[in-house]
Amino acid sequence: MKRIPDALLMAMAAVLLGLIAGALLMLAIGSNPFEGYYYLFRGGLMNMQRVGNTIALSTTLILTGLSVAFAFRTGLFNIGAAGQMLIGGLCATTVGLLVPLPRPILLVVMVLAAMLGGALWGSVPGLLKAKFNVHEVVATIMMNWIAYWVVYYFVPAYLKGQFLETESRVLPAASSLRTPWLTDLFNGAYLNMGLFIAIAMIIIIRFLLNRTTFGYELKAVGSNRDAALFAGIQVNRSIILSMVIAGGLAGLAGASFYTGYSANIQIGVLPIQGFDGIAVALLGANNPLGVLGAALFFGLLHAGKGFMNAMTGIPPEISDTIIATIIYFTATSLLIGRALDYVVRRKKKGGK
Amino acid sequence: MKRMVSVLVLLIFAAACVFGAGQREADPDTLRVGMVTDAGTIDDKSFNQGTWEGIRQAQQDLGVQTRYLRPSGETEADYVAEIVNLYDAGYRFVVTPGFKFETAIYIIQQRYDDLKVVLLDGEPRSQDYESHVGPNTVAIYYAEHESGFLAGLATALQLKSGAVGFIGGMEIPPVQKFNWGFQQGVDYANSNHGTNVTVSANNVIYQGSFTDVPAGQQIAATMYDRGVKAIFAAAGGVGIGAINEAKSRAASGEEVWIVGVDVDQYEEGVYADGKSIILTSAMKEIGNSAYAMIEAELNGEFPGGSILTFDATNDGIGIPAENPNLSADVERVVFEVLEKMKTGEVAVQDSSAGLIP
Repeated sequence: MKRIPDALLMAMAAVLLGLIAGALLMLAIGSNPFEGYYYLFRGGLMNMQRVGNTIALSTTLILTGLSVAFAFRTGLFNIGAAGQMLIGGLCATTVGLLVPLPRPILLVVMVLAAMLGGALWGSVPGLLKAKFNVHEVVATIMMNWIAYWVVYYFVPAYLKGQFLETESRVLPAASSLRTPWLTDLFNGAYLNMGLFIAIAMIIIIRFLLNRTTFGYELKAVGSNRDAALFAGIQVNRSIILSMVIAGGLAGLAGASFYTGYSANIQIGVLPIQGFDGIAVALLGANNPLGVLGAALFFGLLHAGKGFMNAMTGIPPEISDTIIATIIYFTATSLLIGRALDYVVRRKKKGGK
Repeated sequence: MKRMVSVLVLLIFAAACVFGAGQREADPDTLRVGMVTDAGTIDDKSFNQGTWEGIRQAQQDLGVQTRYLRPSGETEADYVAEIVNLYDAGYRFVVTPGFKFETAIYIIQQRYDDLKVVLLDGEPRSQDYESHVGPNTVAIYYAEHESGFLAGLATALQLKSGAVGFIGGMEIPPVQKFNWGFQQGVDYANSNHGTNVTVSANNVIYQGSFTDVPAGQQIAATMYDRGVKAIFAAAGGVGIGAINEAKSRAASGEEVWIVGVDVDQYEEGVYADGKSIILTSAMKEIGNSAYAMIEAELNGEFPGGSILTFDATNDGIGIPAENPNLSADVERVVFEVLEKMKTGEVAVQDSSAGLIP
């Protein structure tokens, strides 16, 4: 039998523990946890429309999760996925609203604009890190707020709707990533072509990390910066490129969210999906396939929590708490790993 | 480890049986009324809270089942998702507060023809801004000018003389109508009750947004410096800025007032020892209208397909029942005039003719 990888085992343990913690919470407020989980999962899966919305929510998480995971492989902690995503969304929306092009070309230009915008936003912390050794956590957090205020200024000034000033005009159907056949297939769900981008990115990033010299160099820098430098790898170039690619991935998340899931961009909101991306990357062990699984799982929790609340009165915050608990258990996975080791060893010792 | 997990699972299961036994099964005959909150929380002292209080009142009086859901974002998709959640959970009556639901309701009313929807302060619109009220939807607007009138009247009667001002958010009809009504209320007091309160053109300002808190504070400061005694702030977040300015001035001993908007904002204006700078509030009775629609549905009289306006005649607008900063005499006069409004003896115009626009 092929051995299950440790990372997967630990992720599953974290998920299980998180679900148990959630169950205890439901008990504490006097609800039935089996009922709660039943409706939570039904809420995400019970018909095509709900499956479609679950995948739509996961799409964004896949891309922000990939962004965080990719930077992490180079030893960089990208807290800035939210800001990169926001700028990506702003670029895509701007192109979608203002540039008159036939639909296929327009969509490609929108997606590219989003990727470039995100990449630009990621490049700044990358440059600062490479040239001046400014810690990327600080730099990316600050870039989040710069993105927040750029959108705050730009949308009312150039993309204002007829009536609402807190969000941009609504994108016409021709410049939306939603496409009729997908929408119809999933009964009006908000699933959109961003999904194909996300899947393509999983494949590309996986290939890049595992099968190319460039990917090897990035991972080498992540494992040991000094050793990589000594081995002749251009560490600074790797750091900058890693942040650029991470930013580009988050920018794509912005395109899929603001021009697919939503039809306009709101001011005054840092997208929570950017931060959830950190959790997705953690649970997915910074592995593209792991990210896919983690994003689908979190997407399911997000999609189902409203229905759970409607059916049972269990507040939707419970599912947020489950996510938080899972992150907590993932972050302390080292401890879980040791506990597992201990159990295994004791079994062997006693092994009858 | 394994044993621990299984013990834990067993415990949960046992507890679930104990606690779960008490689950009340829904009575299929009772109407289930759901609400989806707008941006903000259920206790926002504004639209969400007002709507929910009306629904809870209906639960008490009329025995309907109620629940509110809070969307996880502010996109149309998030709003639609929560309404679908309510529908799939058996709710056939949904109340949504605020114009942000307009496009979501447009989609929902086409998809579910057995779902009754009440949209407060807006009407269903397609993404091209075409209005269409479906046969199972009721769109509700409010007579802001009448509400503003009562507030203006109360303000003038209480202050007796001096200057008052108005801060609006965006220059859109619901805000403008508050302004026009307010001026008419002040005029009414001047000509019928011997007060001498003035509204001058430079004290009527639309800030241009509902969100710029510092700007609201700035404008209020300028007005107070010009000698304005009370400001009617119909401006969302901008109004909060004005309230903050008034609070800090009142705390240092100045006599300044704010007239609140939409809901009773008294609590919002408390600065010390329970004293508040909110003189009174020009209210839209959001809760009353939600209640009225639920009652209509139970009586089989749900006015689907129509756009309703709530005004004095159906208790859709007014000032709070209790105004600690108004004298009893002032309150008495205001409620008398409200009665006259109901009979049509006092009429308020909803246009700017003859007023500061």
